[in-house]
Amino acid sequence: MSTTVDQSRRRFLKQSTLAGGGLVVGIPLVGLSNAAHASEAQALAPNAILQVTPTNEVHFYLPRSEMGQGVHTGLSTLIAEELDVSPANISVHLSGANDEFANPEFGMQITGGSTSIKGHFLPLRQLAANARLVIRQAAAKQLKQPLDAIQTQDGKIFIHGKAFPYGEFVDIATALDFPEDAALKPASEFKYIGKYNQRLDAMAKSTGTAEFGLDVDFEGLHKAALKQPPVYGGSVKSFDDSSAKNMPGVKAIVAIHNGVAVVAEHYYQAKNALAKVEVQWQLPETLGAFSTHSLDANNGMGLFENALKEEGDNGHDEGDAKAIQQANKVISAQYWAPYLAHATMEPMNCTVKIENGKVDVWVGSQSPGMAKNIAALFADVSKDDVTVHSTYLGGGFGRRSASDFVAQATAIAKASNLPVQLVWSREDDTQHDLYRPAALAKFDIGLNKDGTITDWHVKRVGPNIMPYMIDETVDAMAPGFMPNAMVDWLSKRGYGLFDGWVVDPSSIEGLFEDYDSPNKQVSHVTIDPGLPMGFWRSVGHSYSGFFKESMMDEVAVALKQDAVEYRLKHLKQNPRLANVLKQAASQAGWGKPLASGHFHGVATHMSFGSFVAQVAEVSIESNDIKVHKVTCVIDCGTAVNPNVVKAQMEGGIIYGLTAALHGEITLKDGAVEQSNFHDYPMLRMNESPEFEVVIINSNESPAGVGEPGLPPIAAAVANAVYAASGKRLRSLPLKLA
Amino acid sequence: MLRFTLNGQAVEVDAPGDTPLLWVIRDHLKLKGSKFGCGMGLCGACSMLVDGQSTRTCILPAASVANKSVTTIEGIGNPELVSAVQQAWVDASVAQCGYCQSGQIVSATALLTQNPNPSDSEIDNAMSGNICRCGTYPKIKAAIKQAASAVQNGQGKLQVGYFEPNKTATEAS
Repeated sequence: MSTTVDQSRRRFLKQSTLAGGGLVVGIPLVGLSNAAHASEAQALAPNAILQVTPTNEVHFYLPRSEMGQGVHTGLSTLIAEELDVSPANISVHLSGANDEFANPEFGMQITGGSTSIKGHFLPLRQLAANARLVIRQAAAKQLKQPLDAIQTQDGKIFIHGKAFPYGEFVDIATALDFPEDAALKPASEFKYIGKYNQRLDAMAKSTGTAEFGLDVDFEGLHKAALKQPPVYGGSVKSFDDSSAKNMPGVKAIVAIHNGVAVVAEHYYQAKNALAKVEVQWQLPETLGAFSTHSLDANNGMGLFENALKEEGDNGHDEGDAKAIQQANKVISAQYWAPYLAHATMEPMNCTVKIENGKVDVWVGSQSPGMAKNIAALFADVSKDDVTVHSTYLGGGFGRRSASDFVAQATAIAKASNLPVQLVWSREDDTQHDLYRPAALAKFDIGLNKDGTITDWHVKRVGPNIMPYMIDETVDAMAPGFMPNAMVDWLSKRGYGLFDGWVVDPSSIEGLFEDYDSPNKQVSHVTIDPGLPMGFWRSVGHSYSGFFKESMMDEVAVALKQDAVEYRLKHLKQNPRLANVLKQAASQAGWGKPLASGHFHGVATHMSFGSFVAQVAEVSIESNDIKVHKVTCVIDCGTAVNPNVVKAQMEGGIIYGLTAALHGEITLKDGAVEQSNFHDYPMLRMNESPEFEVVIINSNESPAGVGEPGLPPIAAAVANAVYAASGKRLRSLPLKLA
Repeated sequence: MLRFTLNGQAVEVDAPGDTPLLWVIRDHLKLKGSKFGCGMGLCGACSMLVDGQSTRTCILPAASVANKSVTTIEGIGNPELVSAVQQAWVDASVAQCGYCQSGQIVSATALLTQNPNPSDSEIDNAMSGNICRCGTYPKIKAAIKQAASAVQNGQGKLQVGYFEPNKTATEAS
């Protein structure tokens, strides 16, 4: 793109070569979010790009990955609001990897952490408001009218009752100085934010025409299937491809850094031939000896249990750690959550073409910037020679923030000298994930005479995610990229990892923050057998929500107090959480009679800036836990698209119910035992509860919605199971027999 | 040579008969709307109508559809002319990531073809072979009911891109 940018930091691309021409404006989101980290070069280049053509088309080049969470629609709604154009009339284009598309909160192009709407709320609105103002100014000039007389509505200029499409003024607008600080609409005037309920990708996704990574195809593209070591960290010692290499369609059989790949004309040929390849593996010793079922004190659960005896590193220290010795009563309990796979519906895949030193990558990724760097590393080219083409993601949930499959596809393309699409099987996907960490936690809750919590002590044992993320990041980014973007990324959500590598905050988040207690102590013991860990929808909150809310229920039960009232007594400093809890209780009819055999359980949890409370209605039939209904109340600040917020609550709860009722990854001699949906089952429609979702009306800044629906649900169900059966289930998945 | 009817058109494909139908459709015939999810017939992402039945094609040898009629999502409707089920899906913004939705729509179409006014439990039974990891089940259920009522009120058809075998008419009824 050829650009002329005014030296006064105006984001106005006057001679754009974008097809269609007209008014083309962009903003550097990194610079806007964190000026200290934006170099001058970054500040001068546009990233999120908005175009209004002379033919009145509005194009928005979307800088975030769409994996189902509705960001495609949400970000376009922000543009629509301030530009005054219906969201349905904006053509949205997925952007490829570009350093300038960095996420304002991460400093790298990553979609995750429920940050997209939160981080873009003001920058994108300002961009669109500025564009609308310059179009009005152009109209005022051409029509020789005062600016005040120029009104807009749905992509048109209105003056004295006459309508003119924006497109008529964009050429003049391009010649004007681009405004920097047009007034934003007050919330009371929003037409689309909080009101627009259609998804812009609905048609493509209802007709099979949305292009996912696996749908990428072109003349000469080959398909690859890959045999990976049964234990993570293994490598190929030797392989025998004599019975495979002459099979139909087979073009190449190559060894790469972590496996052997068959490249064939068609996928099924590659898969069949791969089955005939015999591989001898070099396997890592530590993980290779780890079995979750082991009864040995130094293996499996024994490792975790033993670690509870250690003092641990301090993760949070508030008040007096010794005060618990004076507590009137101490209630203790320990909880377990297993490893989990993501199981996106679309298995991992990536398409790579290397030609004349240039690399093209087609991938659905939550971090296309990382994918670009990884491809450059494995193709041994400069990252300027890599182009990443983004597709829709067939589910992300954190899995697609890693680029292991991009590395593999690039290595296969390079070794075979063929354009390839690497296709993982479901078995590959289940057994070669970056898993949700397993976690063991022990709480000691100190109470005073009237039952008020005075001491909140919790110790968490388990592996951490950050080392695995840093591993990939450092490989791909160092050294040139490291000084600002990586530091930014590592410091997301306040990580202070470079200050001593003490406790990874994602390992303890959610264990202690929500309730009032004068003394809070969090300690952490790292136990890591070496299975790779990754971000899994809601990260640490995915287990801490279950632990903390089960513990709170146990305390209330021990004190014979109502579970809602008891929580409210300890939410004086957390009024937004108290509010959603009250609303959920009232909406669900907490304390009122239910159908015979049905019981309520409640849980509430804050994560990603949002406050959520849930009441689960549960019955038990021959030891089967049946969830009939979930009432969910969320305060996410401004709900940009209420329909998407509701869908994310339902989706987060269903994802969480799969984990609560079914999810468990186990290892034998370091190898994952589950392989497909028969032994790693997902919630299906017949198990899906009825939902009632209430969104608190709020003008606070928008917060995350993709993840916060998940953390409370397992505890809400477990607490209802206790009410129904008197059995306290302290391990996930919840099993009565 | 494999011979069958695909979305109303006779097709011939040079592929081994034991190749799963899904891969014949995706790799050989280049229709990408039907998805690969599990390869074991467990998730329903690959669902197609085979003589009107919602069928898991990732484990279905292509030879077994010889002389049969296969309909994929592309044969149910398209962005220019959507079926009643697709319209209901768009109206309710059912899709999140969207990957499983072709299979969901195929199963919903088969259900409504056989049972124009299904109850909640009949919907559960017919749809429980299709996994959605984003958790769109509540919206799917609502959209199926909306589509059922649209068809009953003459406001849409279950297949609009489908051509009856041996017919060249532009639209089957």
